[in-house]
Amino acid sequence: MSQNNNSNNNKCKRKILTQRHACSRMNFLYQAANLMAHSNNNTLAAYYGKLCRNVGTKTLMHMSPALKRTLCKRCSLPLLPGVNTTLQVDKKPEEETSLDVEKEKTPIKRSRRRKAKSKPVEAASIDQQTKLHLECSLCQAKRRFQLNTNNECWVESPAAIVQTITVSKQSAEERPEL
Amino acid sequence: MAKTSGTVDAVKEYLTDLVVPHHRCNVNIIPDHITMLHGTKSKKQLSRKRRAHKSNTLTRKQYAELGLNTLPRKQLRYEQMLPLHKLWRGYIREHLELEEGDEVPQLHEKRYDEFSKQLVKMDFHGAKLRVLQSKCQTLVGLNGICVMDTKNVLKLLGEDHVVRTVPKSECVFGLNVGNMEFTIFGQHLTMRPAERSVKKIKNYVEPFM
Repeated sequence: MSQNNNSNNNKCKRKILTQRHACSRMNFLYQAANLMAHSNNNTLAAYYGKLCRNVGTKTLMHMSPALKRTLCKRCSLPLLPGVNTTLQVDKKPEEETSLDVEKEKTPIKRSRRRKAKSKPVEAASIDQQTKLHLECSLCQAKRRFQLNTNNECWVESPAAIVQTITVSKQSAEERPEL
Repeated sequence: MAKTSGTVDAVKEYLTDLVVPHHRCNVNIIPDHITMLHGTKSKKQLSRKRRAHKSNTLTRKQYAELGLNTLPRKQLRYEQMLPLHKLWRGYIREHLELEEGDEVPQLHEKRYDEFSKQLVKMDFHGAKLRVLQSKCQTLVGLNGICVMDTKNVLKLLGEDHVVRTVPKSECVFGLNVGNMEFTIFGQHLTMRPAERSVKKIKNYVEPFM
C-alpha cells in the first residue's frame, strides 16, 4: 500500500493518508460482519455491519455501492443468499407460482454474481419481468430485484469509474473479497 | 355549496337566534356569503403525507426489541470467535503499520505521538484483552476476546464461553500484538466506538490511580 501512495502526487497522498485508518477499520468491520454471518451469529453480524456504516458516516466516507447493497437496509445484516437468506421469486405473477424451486437463480443479477452457484438455467420459465426478493432473516425487510438488466447503475458504468479511481484505488477497493 | 346545505341551514338558525326577537323577521342571510372553514385536513391528504415520510430504518426501540443491543450470556463459543481474533491481528498490523520485529517507539522518538494516537483510535472487536488493574478487585485478571464495544462497557468472551461485561472507566487493560505489549487506560476509551475514529485526542493525558 505504501508504494502506491508514493507513486501518487503529494497532495493526493496527504488526502488519502488522513482517511486511511478509518478505511482499514471499515474494511475490518465489514469482514468481521461477514465472518459472523457465516458462522450463524446474526446479532453480532448486524452489530458490526451497523458499526461499519456508522464509522463511514462519522468520517464522511462512502462504501462502494456494490458492498453497501450487501448490507440490509434496515438492520445492516450482511445478506448472503444461500447462507442466511434465500433468494425467492415473487409470487405475484400467478402463472409462475412453480418457480420457487429455482431459488438460486442469481447469475443474472449483477451484484450477486460472485455468490451465486452455477446451476443450469432454465431460461424458458423466467422472463425479464420476473421479480426476485430477498428477505432479511433478522428484521424481515425485503429487497426486490428485477431480472431486467437494462437498468445500469451510474456508479457501476465504466464512465463513472474514471473519477473514482484516483481516490479509492488503494484501500477502498480491497474490501470486496472475503 | 350544495353539499353543505344542511350546515348552512344550521348556521342561519344559529344566527337568527342571536338577534333580538322582534327584529328576527328583518334578518336576511344570503347563503352564498357563508363560507365554511374546514377544521382538519381531509384524510386523503394526511395519508399521502405519512406515506411519503415513512422511513425504512429501524428506530432505536425496534432495534432494541430485536435484541441487537444485548448478547446472550452463555451461547457464544470461544472457538467461534478465534477467526475474528485472527482477522483482528491482520487489521492491527495494517492499522499501526507494523512489520515483523517492530519495536514500540520510545518516548523521545518522533513517531511516538502519532503511534499512540493511532493506538487509541483502533478497533477493539476481536482483540484479546485482559484486565490488569481495576478499582473492583473481582475484575482483575479477567481475560477474553472483546466482542462488543459500547460507550462505557466492553464485553469480553472468556475461554469458559461466558460473556462478561467490564466497565471501561475503572479498569486498565493489557493487550499483546506480536511481541509488543500495550497497557491501555480504559478511562480514555470512554467514547462510542464509531466516534472514536474521528475524535481529536489530547496529546497529554493524565493516568489515573
